[in-house]
Amino acid sequence: MAEGAQSARPLSPHLQIWGWTVTMAASIFHRATGVALYAGAALLASWLFAAASGPEAFAFVSDILASPIGIFALFGFTWALLFHMMNGLRHFLWDRGLGLAPKTATRTAWLVFIASLSLTAVIFWVGLNMRGGA
Amino acid sequence: MANKGTSTFIIQRLSAMAVLPLVIWFLISLVFHAGDSYEETVSWLSNPAAAIPLGLLVIAGAIHMRIGIMEVIEDYIHSGLKTVLLALNWLFALTVAATALWSIYQLAFAG
Repeated sequence: MAEGAQSARPLSPHLQIWGWTVTMAASIFHRATGVALYAGAALLASWLFAAASGPEAFAFVSDILASPIGIFALFGFTWALLFHMMNGLRHFLWDRGLGLAPKTATRTAWLVFIASLSLTAVIFWVGLNMRGGA
Repeated sequence: MANKGTSTFIIQRLSAMAVLPLVIWFLISLVFHAGDSYEETVSWLSNPAAAIPLGLLVIAGAIHMRIGIMEVIEDYIHSGLKTVLLALNWLFALTVAATALWSIYQLAFAG
């Protein structure tokens, strides 16, 4: 029976069986931030469309973006963008056969998490100061 | 789509390389324009020095995200829904790009 033969095959452990590693987290976050940036692209297009539509539309979108939820969303999108960009650099290195040793990959994964979060914090500190405080 | 793996791989890398410097430029610019009024924002975006790289970012970004989400759909969706989602993915990328490009054009020439 085809069904019996199928169930006799060895199965790889389910996703939940594996313990978390930083390289695994970086891989999952690369995909998750990529999906999040899909929504970020719609936000960018909406912001540009509002600017092109006139002062009232621009004020409406600006007020949403300047609200606590808006600032939080912008912080999230900025981090997602920086993480995806920096982790993308790891992918470029791997394409060239570099940085694939487990120890190196673990180090660069930590580096990308720490650097993307730090840079996002710096960007918001400077940005909020540029507009004269939150 | 069979036999397209290599060209998809290459286009995804090329669009990433194009997006990389444009994203860095855009993030830095946004920080410096954080407190801008409507008039200041329009004058910034209508300048060719901003409009052209922003247009390039939109085009390269739309290509990159269309392939990225296509790969996610192909990995997880194996039913008949796959074709529908892949079509919607195209539609979304094209709509985002068309809206952004029209707005950039409007700001540069009609604003």
